[in-house]
Amino acid sequence: MSGAGSTDFVVLKNVSKYYGAFRALDKVSFTIKEGEIFGYIGPNGAGKTTTMKILVDLISNFQGEISIGGYQVPKERTAVHRLLGYLPQNVAFQEWRTVNHALTTFGRLSGLSEQNVNNNIPKILDLLGLSEVRHKKISQLSGGMIQKVGLAQALIHEPKFLVLDEPLGGLDPLSRHQFKEIVLKLRNQGSTILFSSHILSDVQDVADRIGIINRGRIKRIGTLNELKSDLQPQNIVEVLLSYVSDKWIEFRSIIGVKSVEQPSPGRILVYLLEGVDEAKVIDDLVQAIACLKIRVRGITLLSPSLDEIYLNYVQESETA
Amino acid sequence: MSLPLLFVDELRGFYKSKVMLFLWVGLPVIAILFRFVQVTTTGQEISFTVISTLIVSSLAGTLASVMLAVSIINEKNRHVYELFLIRPLKRRDILFSKYLSVYLCVAIASLISVLVGIVTDFAMGGTLSSAVFDSLGQSLAISFSMIAIACAAGVLIGIVSPSVLVGAILVIYGGNQISVVPLLPTLLNISYADLFTVGLAAVTATVLLAIAVYAFNHKQF
Repeated sequence: MSGAGSTDFVVLKNVSKYYGAFRALDKVSFTIKEGEIFGYIGPNGAGKTTTMKILVDLISNFQGEISIGGYQVPKERTAVHRLLGYLPQNVAFQEWRTVNHALTTFGRLSGLSEQNVNNNIPKILDLLGLSEVRHKKISQLSGGMIQKVGLAQALIHEPKFLVLDEPLGGLDPLSRHQFKEIVLKLRNQGSTILFSSHILSDVQDVADRIGIINRGRIKRIGTLNELKSDLQPQNIVEVLLSYVSDKWIEFRSIIGVKSVEQPSPGRILVYLLEGVDEAKVIDDLVQAIACLKIRVRGITLLSPSLDEIYLNYVQESETA
Repeated sequence: MSLPLLFVDELRGFYKSKVMLFLWVGLPVIAILFRFVQVTTTGQEISFTVISTLIVSSLAGTLASVMLAVSIINEKNRHVYELFLIRPLKRRDILFSKYLSVYLCVAIASLISVLVGIVTDFAMGGTLSSAVFDSLGQSLAISFSMIAIACAAGVLIGIVSPSVLVGAILVIYGGNQISVVPLLPTLLNISYADLFTVGLAAVTATVLLAIAVYAFNHKQF
């Protein structure tokens, strides 16, 4: 999945930020490789937006070291700004601007020539399905459309590093899908992306690596598989029946099965004993299904979801 | 260089805003109405050109100050500046572009009002004496100087105020008072009052803008 290179494009070392006595970030350290999508998740107030604002130089009084593309933040801010594209959580434009006008201004301010801006605008609008509203005032657009214009301004100058803070908020399912496709396409073209979202399945769909932050501290960083391996295997097999039947009760007699339950009609959960050979038990289960002439839609060995991993780390730190 | 780009951009936004519409059209209309009120209530004819300039001085400065402060506070609170600040430009250019565009719009609106005054005076059968033109020059110097200070005060108030309400109060009690500084040379009967008026306005506006730029540069978003 990953098109990431070996070079660390973004480096944060022991970044801390205090608002008075409140510790928003506590020695946050992580790296993002060139061409990688780094998913950043955490509950409200965990420090995600603060991290992102520090990265894009909207907050400059912090402790620690940050470099982007080899340039120090905030010391070499002009060079850093040339690499950046940023979509804030609540993107807002001046009310009198049209979509075309906003993109022209932001493209020119990012250093593009007038000709390049004029070339790029139709491409970006086409990519995001905004061509029809090109000359409309942004204030007349829906929330989802404004979010897309927000992404358009972040992409207009083809930045090397893209920071997306909750980019899918307010988008309908189709737009969310298109949005994720675009993010993956950008990654494949070599962009490095920091992507934060409350919707964990969205992060799971696009991220090469995931960082979990809570109360200003990084709890864990890794690929989805690495994070999954942190949790104890659940030893649960899910059997989906084609029709409601009581024959599943017989699964209890299979060696290695601890218990069986039906949480909802047609959905059977088979709990395995610890240390058993899962493949052997699933084989026996398949044979039992054949013998009992039960028709099934699927058999799955359940693995922890990102939601469960996330809750595990967040609840762990709440308890601590 | 981002300043020319931002300046043209802001100009485009301001010149057709509702407040500017009032300045473009409403100010000359009010000035004309004021003339007739003046005639019927006092029975004394004074140069309409001078009346226009006086009205412009008091109204335009206040409106410019309010317009800038409210615009900056709103854009700041709605996080509009974030999309600008992550780009390779100087923060001060954002403020200068706003200042220059509003100043230019208001100065032009003032000139239109004064021209309406001259034309009205002429149309009402009056002759424009050299004394009127002398006082007009001084009035314009004071007017433009007051607008310059009012705009700078508006920018500073916009940067430091957390809300529109606080901004409006500060404009009324602070911005308005400080914008009368250019009147001092005339009131004190200093020689070359016009020059001192302009100089004093330039210094005051520069100091106010410098404080605004310092605050904006250190602002965390």
